[in-house]
Amino acid sequence: MPNALELRGISKSFPGVRANDNVDLEVRQGDIHAIVGENGAGKTTLMSILYGLTPPDSGEIVVDGRTVRFSSALDAIAAGLGMVHQAFKLFPTLTVAENVVFRNEPRTGIFLDRDEAAERVRALGSEYGLVVDPKARIENLPVGLLQRVEILKALYRDAQVLILDEPTAVLTPQERDNLFVTLRRLKDRGRTVIFITHKLNEVMAVSDRVTVLRGGRAVAHLDTASTSPTEVSRLMTGRNVDLDSRPPPSQLGSPVLSVSDLTVSDDDGLVRVDSVSLEVRSGEILGVAAVAGNGQHELVEAICGLRPADRGSIVVGGREVAAADMAMTRKSGLAYIPEDRHRVGTAAGGEVWANLVMGFQRRKRFRRGRFLRRAEIDEHARRIIADYDVRVAGPAVTAVTLSGGNLQKLVVGREMSHAAPLLVAEEPTRGVDVGAIEFLHRQLVEYRNQGGGILLLSAELWELLALSSRIAVMYEGRLVAELDPTETDEAELGFFMTGGSR
Amino acid sequence: MMSQSASDRLSVALSIVAALLIGAAVIALSGTNPLSAYGEMVDGALTGSGLRNTTARMIPIVGMGLALSIPFRAGVINLGGEGQMVLGGLAGTLCAIYLPGPPALVMVASILAGAVAGAFWAFLAAAGQIWLKLPILISSLLLAYPARAITSYLVRFPFADPTVTSSSTVPVPDANRIPKLPLFGGVSASIVLLAFFLIAIAIFNQRTVAGYETRMTGLNSRFSRYGGVGVDRQVVWVMLASGALAGVIGTHLVVGETYRFLDGDLVASGFAWTGLLVTLLASHRPLPLLAAGAFFSALQIGGLAMQRNVNVPWQIALVVQAVVIVVLAGRFVLSWRQRERPDEIPLAEGELTVTGEV
Amino acid sequence: MFDQLFDGALLESVFRALIPILLAAIGGMVCERAGVFQISLEGMMLVGAFAAVAGSYLGQSALLGVTIAMVVTGLFSLILAYGAVTRRGDPIVLGVAVNLLALGLTSFLLPQLFGVRGVFQHPRVDGLDRMAIPVLSDLPLIGQALFNLTIPGYLALAAIPLIWLFLFRTPIGLRLRGVGERPASAETLGVSSTQYKYAAVVFSGLACGLAGAQLALGNVVQFAENMSSGRGWIAVVAVMLGRAHPVGVLGASALFGFAEGFGFRLQGNGLPVQITEALPYVVTLVALALARKRFQRILELTAA
Repeated sequence: MPNALELRGISKSFPGVRANDNVDLEVRQGDIHAIVGENGAGKTTLMSILYGLTPPDSGEIVVDGRTVRFSSALDAIAAGLGMVHQAFKLFPTLTVAENVVFRNEPRTGIFLDRDEAAERVRALGSEYGLVVDPKARIENLPVGLLQRVEILKALYRDAQVLILDEPTAVLTPQERDNLFVTLRRLKDRGRTVIFITHKLNEVMAVSDRVTVLRGGRAVAHLDTASTSPTEVSRLMTGRNVDLDSRPPPSQLGSPVLSVSDLTVSDDDGLVRVDSVSLEVRSGEILGVAAVAGNGQHELVEAICGLRPADRGSIVVGGREVAAADMAMTRKSGLAYIPEDRHRVGTAAGGEVWANLVMGFQRRKRFRRGRFLRRAEIDEHARRIIADYDVRVAGPAVTAVTLSGGNLQKLVVGREMSHAAPLLVAEEPTRGVDVGAIEFLHRQLVEYRNQGGGILLLSAELWELLALSSRIAVMYEGRLVAELDPTETDEAELGFFMTGGSR
Repeated sequence: MMSQSASDRLSVALSIVAALLIGAAVIALSGTNPLSAYGEMVDGALTGSGLRNTTARMIPIVGMGLALSIPFRAGVINLGGEGQMVLGGLAGTLCAIYLPGPPALVMVASILAGAVAGAFWAFLAAAGQIWLKLPILISSLLLAYPARAITSYLVRFPFADPTVTSSSTVPVPDANRIPKLPLFGGVSASIVLLAFFLIAIAIFNQRTVAGYETRMTGLNSRFSRYGGVGVDRQVVWVMLASGALAGVIGTHLVVGETYRFLDGDLVASGFAWTGLLVTLLASHRPLPLLAAGAFFSALQIGGLAMQRNVNVPWQIALVVQAVVIVVLAGRFVLSWRQRERPDEIPLAEGELTVTGEV
Repeated sequence: MFDQLFDGALLESVFRALIPILLAAIGGMVCERAGVFQISLEGMMLVGAFAAVAGSYLGQSALLGVTIAMVVTGLFSLILAYGAVTRRGDPIVLGVAVNLLALGLTSFLLPQLFGVRGVFQHPRVDGLDRMAIPVLSDLPLIGQALFNLTIPGYLALAAIPLIWLFLFRTPIGLRLRGVGERPASAETLGVSSTQYKYAAVVFSGLACGLAGAQLALGNVVQFAENMSSGRGWIAVVAVMLGRAHPVGVLGASALFGFAEGFGFRLQGNGLPVQITEALPYVVTLVALALARKRFQRILELTAA
């Protein structure tokens, strides 16, 4: 039987990054094939290439023995590929059936045959165990069901190979188990599944074969049955994961952040943070682990003064800031690395100096009365550029020219440069390459050693395990566990993150 | 707000050339030699009394451009300059007519009254955005109509001059009029005030902390908020400043130019809109704004001369100035503002994930 | 006093005021559904009014005037389509500039073509006739208002159910809504957002052509400088208030039509014209204030 899909020598570079380097991949018909790798290993780029969203610099794609060239996602669909993106490509105000049949609508005359559309969705759903109400609007559905809709969309277009990008990142354990049942059912019906993840237990649980990516290269092709989690993880990281390399604990000082009984609602009035109490002392990193959307972002916004608290107290640097704005919390001794460096952390159209002084522009050091001290600001900017290895010609350059990793270093450098007693770091290494990740980790540890207290949020559990002094787990707005990273692992964290309790 | 790159300057220049060519084509189609028409325009704008008229017209055009540039730079779009100008103009005029006291003081008071009235009207729009989530873009524009109605009612009834048939106030007493300077044969002293505002705004933009903060808000308001800038308070301040300056310009147009508030006069002038185009052309920067204002003033004054001499309606000037902005904003030439658009940031590894999307 | 204010004549003036706004708002609604922020309705309406009068004058036929108005505004709308869709220019700046271009162009052409300033009236300009539907137009109260309209009037009212059907019951309408909501998602399924956006903008041009024709050949028979006088902006607001839904947009337009018609009536009862003319704008502002929080999209667009 020919391979359902082959990649031969795929390479792709972005400015400053070699995202894929001569990657080969063979996916057998009817397999569940896992592709694993750390963040920045090149998984997402590989998938965009496969799906016709990004053209490769070199290499070829072979589907069912035929070499194909995709110039758009449409070509990939026509070749029988179906992709379930990590960020769903659905239309929120349209119904499930409308989303599924979009552009391949059943008709009666000039009109959309809505009954037929609903019927097709229902039929596909019962065949594959993907039950969704075809008339429900997407915006009213929970995330787990959205994923079903994406899979239905691919099946409706008769995809023979389904590609799922980090499909479990947003799922509860129950939903994840259902997904695995669906994947097996797809396999039973002769379809092929490619499953991208960085979670080892999932690889072991559901896949037939595994391809490991590291630093843009495919470093191993394995049969799941004849490998072990240890081997895969060693191949993924290129080192033995040993917790001994954890930084030694530093001296604990007084609390820099005390949150007690904090309750916060989102813009729609839903309670997202529910009676949370926590404390960060100087010289420690408190990690917060949570599945996306469990209130961790609202918690951070409330602490920083970007979102009002319904109830409870937040003390930063000895000052009550539950009712304060960002200017006040910053003055009280808080620095904040936001998760979205483009939309929140920088102004692309501003110069590097303008981006580096933000948040501190009213400090005495940078102004004389109402006027900016430009010489002082430029000097400060040059120091951060040098200390944090930001690759840019000088402070007057516009920030839009910086690459993602450089921009992140700029944000981290800015926030760390004032030695605020409390640093809130949200996804500090998201979307940066491996070299930058290591650099940023060293900076965080150094900051802690200098006596800073850090509240660290990360979707990467290994990152939390590697850096944190303690890990608090958040589930549905509540803190449900506090764990010692030397005595726990990803599996236990995952258990609590998905609502498990002892 | 804009990066001041060479390619931006080039695209501005090309837009102007394109607009002039389109204007020439329109003139040619209507049966006049465009070269002679443009010749009349240049002559009319820059020679004889033309130079004075062009300079005088720069006061409202550059003034309104400056007024609108203040919020624009902070990402706030004030389309209600007209209403703020008209109300301010009437308040200033009434002060100048009815307030007793030494002329110098009355003049100062009437300029202040114009500023307060304009600022108040702009404040309504700012308050609407902050507390009622009504976009300033829409509310400021809609508020212009009641402003017109109020002034129209006031000059037709309570404050009408019964001795004339047109609906207008009585003239401002000679002593209380803003004097003319001996410049090009008589330009209103308001031009000194305008120069002061221009320099003050340039310094504010370039040198002050608040000027830096407003620019950052204009580039990315989330970033500003994250940096501790009180963005709501800033919206109020920029609108107050904008409305106040618009009110001052309105006051000048009567107390320094026509001396009677004639119903509909300030609206028909279209200065608020020309000012908006000027600030767009100049990317909200004061010195380029001065140049753009001079250019549009010359176009309009030259247009009037052209109308007198070769019978081509002066409104061709309005066409040309609008086309400049259409060509520029539509990026029909080169890529003006292209680099500011966050949705065009190239995707790098790992950034295909957009958090918060469904 | 109230039985004096509410009668068939009032309803008639409400519909007079309503129809141009509704036509423009229908255009704006389709653009909004396709994800194009359309604020040049005002200018396109003005161009439509001018072209309608010019066409009617040249051909001495109201229908020719309407046709020419639609052709001209359809072409005129391509400026916005090209700039905002193809070149991805700022739709707000572009929209404002297009409005001013329309104002400049019409006030230039008025003296240039007809040799008059301010207002152009001429016996050769053929106005749109109202066509009474037998029996229905004799109904009390609503008969004259609803069933004795001009062609653009009937088209405006017929467009509401037709566009509802189009948007919510046809495959093309579905795709249009998808494009407007998530253009990138639509592209991955092979639906070109550019095509749909162009079509929507040109449609809004045609609708504004009709609106302008109704204004200049229906409501009155003349062209006056800047005669759209903010109606296009009210249409923009009607789209927002009506959440770009045909029924909502009809309701919002009716509210403004009512305000204008009612203001007209109040004039007769002694209030100065300057105050009553401001009524639709004040009503618009109050309605916006009451609606609250519906404008996230435009707030996001304007907050850089």
